[in-house]
Amino acid sequence: MSNKRSADDYGTPSKRARRDDGDDYIDINDEDDVIPPSPPDTSLIPRGATINFTALTRRLAEERRVEKDPSEMTSLEAHRRKQDALVSHIFMDQDFSWLHLKPDHASRPLWISPEDGHIILEAFSPLAEQAQDFLTAISEPVSRPAFIHEYKLTAYSLYAAVSVGLQTEDIIEVHWMLDVWNQVPVPDAILSFIRDRTLSYGKVKLVLKHNKYFVESSHPETLQFLLKDSIIRDARSHTTQVDNSIKASTFTTSMAPVRGNLVIPGTKEAEKKDGAPNGANGTDSALFTSVVDEIEEDDENVHAFQIDDAKIDDVKKRCNELEYPMLEEYDFRNDTINANLDIDLKPATVIRPYQETSLSKMFGNGVSVMQWRQQFIQWSNITDRQIAVFTADQKEKFAGESGIVVSTYSMVANTHNRSHDSKKMMDFLTSREWGFILLDEVHVVPAAMFRRVVTTIKAHSKLGLTATLVREDDKISDLNYMIGPKLYEANWMDLAAKGHIANVQCAEVWCPMTPEFYREYLREQSRKRMLLYCMNPNKFQACQFLIKYHEGRGDKVIVFSDNVYALEAYAKHLGKPYIHGATGQVERMRILSHFQHSPLVNTIFLSKVGDTSIDLPEATCLIQISSHFGSRRQEAQRLGRILRAKRRNDEGFNAFFYSLVSKDTQEMYYSTKRQQFLIDQGYSFKVITHLDGLEDLPDLAYRTKDEQIELLSSVLLANESDAGLGTDIKASEGDLAGTVTSLDFGGPGRRGPGVHRTTGTLTALSGAQHMSYVEQNKSVNKKLAREAPSRHKLFSKRDKDKVAARKEAQRAGASSGRP
Amino acid sequence: MRAIKGILFTCDPAVKQILLAMNEKQSFIIEDLDDYHVVIKADDEYRVRKELDLELEKNTYNQE
Repeated sequence: MSNKRSADDYGTPSKRARRDDGDDYIDINDEDDVIPPSPPDTSLIPRGATINFTALTRRLAEERRVEKDPSEMTSLEAHRRKQDALVSHIFMDQDFSWLHLKPDHASRPLWISPEDGHIILEAFSPLAEQAQDFLTAISEPVSRPAFIHEYKLTAYSLYAAVSVGLQTEDIIEVHWMLDVWNQVPVPDAILSFIRDRTLSYGKVKLVLKHNKYFVESSHPETLQFLLKDSIIRDARSHTTQVDNSIKASTFTTSMAPVRGNLVIPGTKEAEKKDGAPNGANGTDSALFTSVVDEIEEDDENVHAFQIDDAKIDDVKKRCNELEYPMLEEYDFRNDTINANLDIDLKPATVIRPYQETSLSKMFGNGVSVMQWRQQFIQWSNITDRQIAVFTADQKEKFAGESGIVVSTYSMVANTHNRSHDSKKMMDFLTSREWGFILLDEVHVVPAAMFRRVVTTIKAHSKLGLTATLVREDDKISDLNYMIGPKLYEANWMDLAAKGHIANVQCAEVWCPMTPEFYREYLREQSRKRMLLYCMNPNKFQACQFLIKYHEGRGDKVIVFSDNVYALEAYAKHLGKPYIHGATGQVERMRILSHFQHSPLVNTIFLSKVGDTSIDLPEATCLIQISSHFGSRRQEAQRLGRILRAKRRNDEGFNAFFYSLVSKDTQEMYYSTKRQQFLIDQGYSFKVITHLDGLEDLPDLAYRTKDEQIELLSSVLLANESDAGLGTDIKASEGDLAGTVTSLDFGGPGRRGPGVHRTTGTLTALSGAQHMSYVEQNKSVNKKLAREAPSRHKLFSKRDKDKVAARKEAQRAGASSGRP
Repeated sequence: MRAIKGILFTCDPAVKQILLAMNEKQSFIIEDLDDYHVVIKADDEYRVRKELDLELEKNTYNQE
């Protein structure tokens, strides 16, 4: 379990400090893992102050045990002691054997770790389903394999609970619930943690009014506290002429006296002195009174100050760090400025239980803009005119007061080189308030380039969607303040069980390196190494075998390779069509349509262009031969290609996901890392070390040693640049590593010259010294291109007749129309 | 006539390649028999095993 624990913090493996039993305890507050690390001197509330208590409890418990004299113990007790001592060192600081189990613990499904708020759920318990609903409301799922689920109680999860309306008073109920289901009593530390966090949440609100952002709170102390912070103070908008009428009446709200009573922690005081030079104190308080507006709303006094649009991101982040996360509120019923969009689902639409609905504005990814538009029209009663598209080729506004705009991240985030039309469109987007913004594939948003999207478009409410909430960098937690906390995470296993996504069998196929390849692998440098393990003849054979096997079963197979050299080599050798960045648009469409409709084309090879943007519901089997290092997101996204398989609801249908891995190479390392996200979702990978019947395959590739050596030498001859991953796509600045966000392909004809001149001795040129000549076999792509979509004679004859008949009718109509 | 105490080392072809690479740095292989077998100096056995473990461990992903 101690392993699983930190499944979410790769890259920073040493973050969690270990405690030695002998030392004074250093207690670790788990939130350090979640909250973006802030400089230590700025933290206001000493972390861990709440949690230290548990360590104390543990000490006491330990001492109590020691107090008992071994000679007085019964033999059973002594035996137990010995047993405990035997295993307890394995668990180190996570040995919780000192906790007292409740007498009827067997019938309760939960465990709660007193130290870091991790909750372990026994998913096999009959009560698990109820407990699960409750847990998803207050905590975040960490890992959900078949039998034991792990959840984590974090500041953000509580923030989410608050933002959906859980009040601090409900905490008592939470306590009750936790206690009912727990096998051990709920530790006080956890309770006080919940109480503390929820108290400060929901006090500060970010409100969008008249296209300007205000920080609002009914507790003036809180606002003042925030304004003490230099970052927030800088972000406060100095133009205070907004809402003159209101301001005039409340301009002199007496805030100054309160200020004196504020206790600022020592660290804070020091920082403030740096920020505000001597004598600034007086002016400070003057500023306060001028910026803190008081707005009468209902019976409660609400105070607010305005924030600069550009700095909204910083302020949100800072507020989270100060543990006053801002709720963004939108009272849409009282909004008289923005026209309501009349949208409803068509009666025929059945909402899947896990689906959330309600939309007004959103971003798709690349080509899928049109798909989104299509889906809106299909599932809701919105008309064609109310939905507009903003892409490179299409810029239009919707008709009427309200509507939907579908766009891409890159269109909105782009700051330079705008055409006149798109500039006009952008002005339209930024000038008005939006009711709702839907961000698809929201995990790309924290990228430096796309952050702007969230702040430039002013929307009252934001909803982000993603299937893969992982990034290899530490930016994923930025979403907590950019968009908001995670509200819901569907359980993939549940979805599969209910038939919303396909059942997938995952397997990792271990292909031993041939001695020759491994020899070179050990000698080469990193980039060439990659090429060597991709082109491993054993992997080649495994791939060939699997394709053959699955085509035989009637599956449609996609083979993924990030490495373009390997992609072409495999595809050409096996005679299959392939698509990568340099494949032209026409050719691409033709290959895809062949794959979808022709029974002759059952396998295609895709580079990472296929990771996200190509939708192929026909595919039922996926083979991965080369991938982007240890990217968990890519693995999940590739799996996503077959989750929507058309045939998923067939009886006993299984989709297959194979990862081919060369043994004893770095690929093993990456492969295990990549799988972690899917394993946390409950998938399990079978390891296949030997494919039965591989040797008996007729026309098996690279069967003889000579052929293998030939392959090796051609691999060694390949350019260093060929060895790179995904060289076919120009990564746009700020992209996630290995992600395709823009469809800006390099375009054909970019590769080096096809011919080059070499000198050598006659023996070398005639085949000694492992010189080999490569046969330039044509790709199947070209063959597909040449085949005209011919129709049966019967149909072409009928078509001809039809055309003739129409002409006849026209002529008749024209002649009769003549006077 | 000189006798060296040797050990028959059984391994898979890939591991043998690692051994060969290690041998280039510091010689310990007496006889390279086939893909699966080599005879190495008995004195070096411990060191070789340790280095090999280290080398193979590099490709294993550990969560902590």
